[in-house]
Amino acid sequence: MTNQQDRLNDTFHALADPTRRAVLAKLTSGPATVSDLAQPFSMALPTFLQHLKVLEECGLVRSKKVGRVRTCQLKPKPLEEAQDWLGAQRTLWTKRLDQLDDYLRHLNATENRK
Amino acid sequence: MTAYPIDPKLDLILERNIDVPVELVWKAWTEPKHLMQWFTPAPWKTVDCEIDLRPGGIFRTVMRSPEGQDMNNIGCCLEVVHHRKLVFTDALLPGFRPRDDGFFTGVVLMEPAKGGSKYIACAIHKDEAGRKTHEEMGFHSGWGTALDQLVAYAKTM
Repeated sequence: MTNQQDRLNDTFHALADPTRRAVLAKLTSGPATVSDLAQPFSMALPTFLQHLKVLEECGLVRSKKVGRVRTCQLKPKPLEEAQDWLGAQRTLWTKRLDQLDDYLRHLNATENRK
Repeated sequence: MTAYPIDPKLDLILERNIDVPVELVWKAWTEPKHLMQWFTPAPWKTVDCEIDLRPGGIFRTVMRSPEGQDMNNIGCCLEVVHHRKLVFTDALLPGFRPRDDGFFTGVVLMEPAKGGSKYIACAIHKDEAGRKTHEEMGFHSGWGTALDQLVAYAKTM
């Protein structure tokens, strides 16, 4: 549970930055090299690499170096987890209220018998 | 029916009609011995509960996992309107003392309806993304859309 919440926090943190979102958006059209990804941004390369590091650490992006070229790829699993969270809350509340309704009917029947 | 702004990305509203008197619905939500019977989805169990039914009064449940691990959830009541409305949160401890890791406020509204009662349960959650972005980036909207697009894409992979 805590692990999952940490992962959610990391995912939301990674998404909370315009540069990182732009990188993710670009990667939705397929793998890209680090230099291609960095090109649209007017920031120093080390700063850009920091952004990539955040994305890699939360598992949204994987990179692989072949020769002198590092290529990045999108890994969508953490995003699905973020989306799934509200769905899980809904399931919990639906079950909870189903149990409440069962219990209320039981309580009502018991009180009517008195 | 609620006076609170609801964020569809973070909050849930569930509405039910049931053929029992509203007094009973109120009892099930506000008396520990009753709440313990239904509050935690099986196979988890509620093994302890304390409710002091006034603003700032304790609202505490202890949930036990199927493996026997207990989770203590402590918070307080915010608003109590007899037979109509209960608002509680885990973001504040009893006596309204702020707490760091709370993330939830529950609003329960009920009223008599034809043949029984209607009740509405709202789960209002902390805006984790918004909180972080406000702190770190001064950035407000946009991640939701980005998220939707990426998830849509993810499903095609």
